[in-house]
Amino acid sequence: MYKALLKAEFLKIKRKWIWGLVFLGPFGVIALEALNFGLRYDYLTDLYKDDLWKGLIGEANMLSVFALMLGATLVASLISSLEHQSTSWKHLLSLPLSKTKIFMGKFSLAFILLTTSCILLAIGIVILGISLGFGTDISIALLLKTCFYPFLAALPVVALQLWLSIVLNNQALPLAIGIVGSIFGGALPRWTIWSWPSLSNQWDKPIINVCLGIVVGLILLGFSTVHFTKKDVNS
Amino acid sequence: MENILTANDLTKKYKSDAVVNRINLQIPRGAVYGFLGPNGAGKTTTIRMLLGLIKPSHGSISVFGKDLRKNRIEALKEIGALVENPSYYGHLNAIENLEVYRVLRKAPKSKIKEVLEIVGLEKAAKKKVKEYSLGMKQRLGIAIALLGDPKLLILDEPTNGLDPQGILEIRTLIKSLAKERGITIIVSSHLLSEIDQMATYVGIISKGRLIFQNRIEELRRFASASVSFTTSSPEETFKHIVSYGIQAYREEEKIMVEAEDEAIAKVISLLVRHGISIYRVEENKKSLEDIFLDLIKEEGTNVQSTFKSRIS
Repeated sequence: MYKALLKAEFLKIKRKWIWGLVFLGPFGVIALEALNFGLRYDYLTDLYKDDLWKGLIGEANMLSVFALMLGATLVASLISSLEHQSTSWKHLLSLPLSKTKIFMGKFSLAFILLTTSCILLAIGIVILGISLGFGTDISIALLLKTCFYPFLAALPVVALQLWLSIVLNNQALPLAIGIVGSIFGGALPRWTIWSWPSLSNQWDKPIINVCLGIVVGLILLGFSTVHFTKKDVNS
Repeated sequence: MENILTANDLTKKYKSDAVVNRINLQIPRGAVYGFLGPNGAGKTTTIRMLLGLIKPSHGSISVFGKDLRKNRIEALKEIGALVENPSYYGHLNAIENLEVYRVLRKAPKSKIKEVLEIVGLEKAAKKKVKEYSLGMKQRLGIAIALLGDPKLLILDEPTNGLDPQGILEIRTLIKSLAKERGITIIVSSHLLSEIDQMATYVGIISKGRLIFQNRIEELRRFASASVSFTTSSPEETFKHIVSYGIQAYREEEKIMVEAEDEAIAKVISLLVRHGISIYRVEENKKSLEDIFLDLIKEEGTNVQSTFKSRIS
């Protein structure tokens, strides 16, 4: 059943610029890093002379966390607006499908799209590093951690944004929360979900944020699914 | 006849306001059931409850003999619906729109062509739906509703906002669906004239209450005709008719008499005998629309009078 649901979801985003966004996110990060290293090549290569790749990945990470959260906000809003604008919720929910599956279908779509962005980011960093002449001695583990740990730690943000965007017809509030969260996330107290993707904590163990993200993300997803299935469909 | 759908004591309250108030629906198999009522009477709310989109505050719905709450998904397999404005993805064409719902309903691929033919959209199938006219969108909505080979089709205001030509097209389509495919159809409207020629059963809802439910012929029986007389002296005419023992009432310059052949003959000879010139004798048949409006008006005044008595 999920296969059919996902197939339908991917059909719906055909010719929408959601795909553009999936590419634009990582592309933007790589482009800005290319500019960063292009302008300050000597300074930065000197700064990171011990491990050029680590330097590049670290620089990219600062931007990618912001791009990831903003991307999650926009993806969640866009895939929900698709149904709001076409007033399709009522029709979708009068199909012989469980409401839980419909909600999970949307979450799966958001998850797959954001995962694609993370993969593209990893590929982009490798291409940029090689073209900057950093060689091929890449720490794959560090690269993957940098690209995917923030995403897993951002799962609560993804779940929250998706829930708000689906439940509210007007996207102003979910967008405002998402954008403010992405910009100030790192500066917010450590207990807020928006600070988690930066992976910093007092124990200096990023894996804690990742685990917290997965657990809280699943809990939030559970709650929002239950709320969605119980809600009257008026629009 | 067996009922394909029944609703018992169906009620939906928002806070303490009952939008739908204890209505009982019986939809016989094979019927085209016209669900009528003015805007805001509770039609859409009722239909949303029938589809499980809204939970009733009270009461139950059974579809194909099974409780809807417990068998929602099973029941929805047999139901096709178009609720208010059609749901379509404007950036996709008709085939792509249908494909989305075909995949979700797990219908065979051949269905798409079939439903497009039924609603007559084959030629515009590759056009983006946002470029469609309202009538075409409405037809696409019906095509989507037909994808699952429904036994019951629920159409909420399918003719809303259409021009007369569009209304006629939808009406013809609905009639043929009922006749050729034996689909039971519930079609809601705020205008009786729109469903007059296709409905076999009528349910009228006003202010959340079902005030009439029966075959449309029963509704037509309310359509008693009267004959109006226009004469040289209405005053005298009225006096003569009443003194002769025939029921009549005045409406400005016209005298209205119940349309019974014998009575009319008597009235005419009576007037001729008294030397009153008869200018016009006209039959006034109440249209279904008039009856519908009367029923709704009556309901309105009833509510008002009970309201008044409660205050005093």
